[in-house]
Amino acid sequence: MIEIEGLVKRYGAHTAVAGLDLKVEPGEIFGFLGPNGAGKTTTVKCITGLLKPTAGRVSVAGFDLATRTLEAKRAMGLVPDEPFVYPKLTGVEYLRFVGELYGAPLEAMRARIPDLLEMFELAPWGGELVESYSHGMRQKLVLAGILLHDPKVLVLDEPMVGLDPKSGRLVKDIFLKLAERGTTIFMCTHVLEIAEKLCDRVGIMIGGRMIACGTVAELEQQAKAKDSDLEGIFLSLTGGSEYSSLLKYL
Amino acid sequence: MLALLMRRRGLSALNSVKSLTRYEWARNSVFGLAGLSLLFGLYYGFFRVLSFIVAVELIGSLLMWKLTAMLLLMTLSMVVVSSLLTSMTTLFYSYDLKFLMKAPLSLRAIFLDKSLESAFFASWMIGLVLVPYVLAAMKVLRLGPAFFLAFAFALPPFLLLAASFGIGFTLLLLYLFPSSRTRDVVWVFSSLSMTVMYGLVRFAQPERLIRPDMLKVVAEYLNYLQAPTAPYLPSWWMSQGLRAAAGGHWGEWALQAAALWGSAAAVYAGLVALASRTYFIGYSGAQEGALRRRTHGFSVLPEQRLLGGGRLSALLWKERVAFFRDVKHWSQMLLIVGLVFVYLFSISRLPHNAPEFWSLIAFLNVGTAGFVIAALGLRFTFPAISLEGRSWWVLKASPLSVGQIMRQKFLFSLAPTLAVAATLGWMTTRFIGADRFTTWVSVAALAGVGVVLCGMGVGLGALFPRFNVENIHQIESSLGGFVYMAASLFYIGGTLSILAWPMRMHFLAMMGSPRAWDAPSAWAAAALWAVFSAGAFGATWILGRRALENHED
Repeated sequence: MIEIEGLVKRYGAHTAVAGLDLKVEPGEIFGFLGPNGAGKTTTVKCITGLLKPTAGRVSVAGFDLATRTLEAKRAMGLVPDEPFVYPKLTGVEYLRFVGELYGAPLEAMRARIPDLLEMFELAPWGGELVESYSHGMRQKLVLAGILLHDPKVLVLDEPMVGLDPKSGRLVKDIFLKLAERGTTIFMCTHVLEIAEKLCDRVGIMIGGRMIACGTVAELEQQAKAKDSDLEGIFLSLTGGSEYSSLLKYL
Repeated sequence: MLALLMRRRGLSALNSVKSLTRYEWARNSVFGLAGLSLLFGLYYGFFRVLSFIVAVELIGSLLMWKLTAMLLLMTLSMVVVSSLLTSMTTLFYSYDLKFLMKAPLSLRAIFLDKSLESAFFASWMIGLVLVPYVLAAMKVLRLGPAFFLAFAFALPPFLLLAASFGIGFTLLLLYLFPSSRTRDVVWVFSSLSMTVMYGLVRFAQPERLIRPDMLKVVAEYLNYLQAPTAPYLPSWWMSQGLRAAAGGHWGEWALQAAALWGSAAAVYAGLVALASRTYFIGYSGAQEGALRRRTHGFSVLPEQRLLGGGRLSALLWKERVAFFRDVKHWSQMLLIVGLVFVYLFSISRLPHNAPEFWSLIAFLNVGTAGFVIAALGLRFTFPAISLEGRSWWVLKASPLSVGQIMRQKFLFSLAPTLAVAATLGWMTTRFIGADRFTTWVSVAALAGVGVVLCGMGVGLGALFPRFNVENIHQIESSLGGFVYMAASLFYIGGTLSILAWPMRMHFLAMMGSPRAWDAPSAWAAAALWAVFSAGAFGATWILGRRALENHED
């Protein structure tokens, strides 16, 4: 599970995350929403150890990220917003490398890597260099990489970007199945429909602060937007409903 | 349209200058001063050489203009090869090409914009080196500023013509073989040409021309000196124009300058016409990835067999595989092999008429060979962390400590560095015929220098990481690269100063001094060197590790 207490992240005078408290339980799929520049990616980077928080504490799978960094990282799998992977490795080699980094046994990799490639329809491309992959293929490769070592916590920043509808559906099913098995999933997304259908709880962040958090029904109450879908709730909470005034610029 | 494209370049440059912080101003000023010092050093060197040559009786003037023609021919060749590499990247792989190709711009405007960029980047630095030469010639021949103006007027078409050869060749190559594989072939081909050219110039032993004892040979070649050097190439027109300007024959100069400007205009018009038929086909082909299926057997990795299982072996495997698949590294290795051969050749040609100094030269070789190792480190070891590039997140998010990553980078660089250090140390002392003590001190010192410079390269590479750069040259020429070279030279200088102590005792003993050797002092020097080396390695390593742990991109 993920526990965040009083997380603050500043870049010079700019505060990207201003005191975030959050707990995501095992088996829960948590959707993290917010407009551009709200601080979502910064939060993801703090959770995964890519950034050092200015203040506050993050713990993953029971390991404090500040003191037991490597154990926390071993329990986690990350899909970043931009899936850059080594262009001069083939897909199979990338997965083997990731497996080695996370200590997956050779026998398990021998069996699992071809299966994962098959599942993501990358098998015909497994022997090609990653530099020849499209954005969606790289996204699928990174997803395959995090499934290889069976992490307890998945942190995903826009995991559906670049995926074709079939792969998108597959990924959704994978997440649901993993959550059933007790994996904690923390997901940033701009696709509100996915968040609505997939997530147990949703948090909305704006200006570095979490302004609402709960199930879609709870958010409906918080936003006082009765019978609205998540898009309506989101726009109501983030002030996006006045977007129509922007149309005059067209 | 071209004017619009040029304006965006101007605006970008202006904004870059405006957004410079005080620190960046200071840093750029330091770089600028260092560059000026280098140019001044070149001017001084050229001045000494030209003064010597011009003073040679009868053939002094001939020799000077022959040298000028050769220098211009070399400049022409270097710009041609350089433009091959630059135009390949600029015309077909620039970041902004996708945007430009999608915009409602004519292909001609894009080609002109990109080809002029290629020509500029391929030639400005090489052209700049000609400036101190011309200034030195002015001083030696007591010429006025008109000579410099004549040179400055003829230089742009000369460089443009040279660059056009490379650009035209690249255009045709990508048109005939429209594939990203062609880029790899051009990289290797260009580097091979550079290496061969560099080797040929050195193996021709140009120093013989300015040695008084060889003047008889030069005299026999008077006819050769008077003959034109590649008369159909722009370098000859340029040298003839300069010679005419130096003699005050302005009509002759105008003729040569018109030939340069006219040819440049004609060749460039030809290039534009060629591009209208070939550029888009080449561009389109270059975007296609080269497909070549590779199989992976899921066996134990060679690194794991050698070092046992674990993450370090996996990191080394990844590094090796990615390194050798990148042809840019092959081309650099070709250049290095050429550099090592030329270095050893130069050592073997040292005059052997002063045997009492051979051992001294062998010891001082630690400094020059150390410089070669530092230059290798700047190319391979220092950028190793930054070359993780935008894939850095894979390692940063994995259960690896920064120290483990740095250790892998160190180990990967260490073996080839030590191989070069041992080759340079051992072969040099063999060529020179140094005594056993000097040989062992030199080889041991170079091995130590190799280890420490590797550690410093990784440490400073971690202290100044640059993950978001377009190419490796931006890493090498960054502030970090400058600090690495300065720190390396300081360490090499320190090593020479400390080891000079026991070497002095050894030389005194060789010369027959009865109480030359003082064992405790010799051991103290060895201990001091060990502490100095450990300090240089440890300080940069720890600083780098801490910085990389806290690095935020």
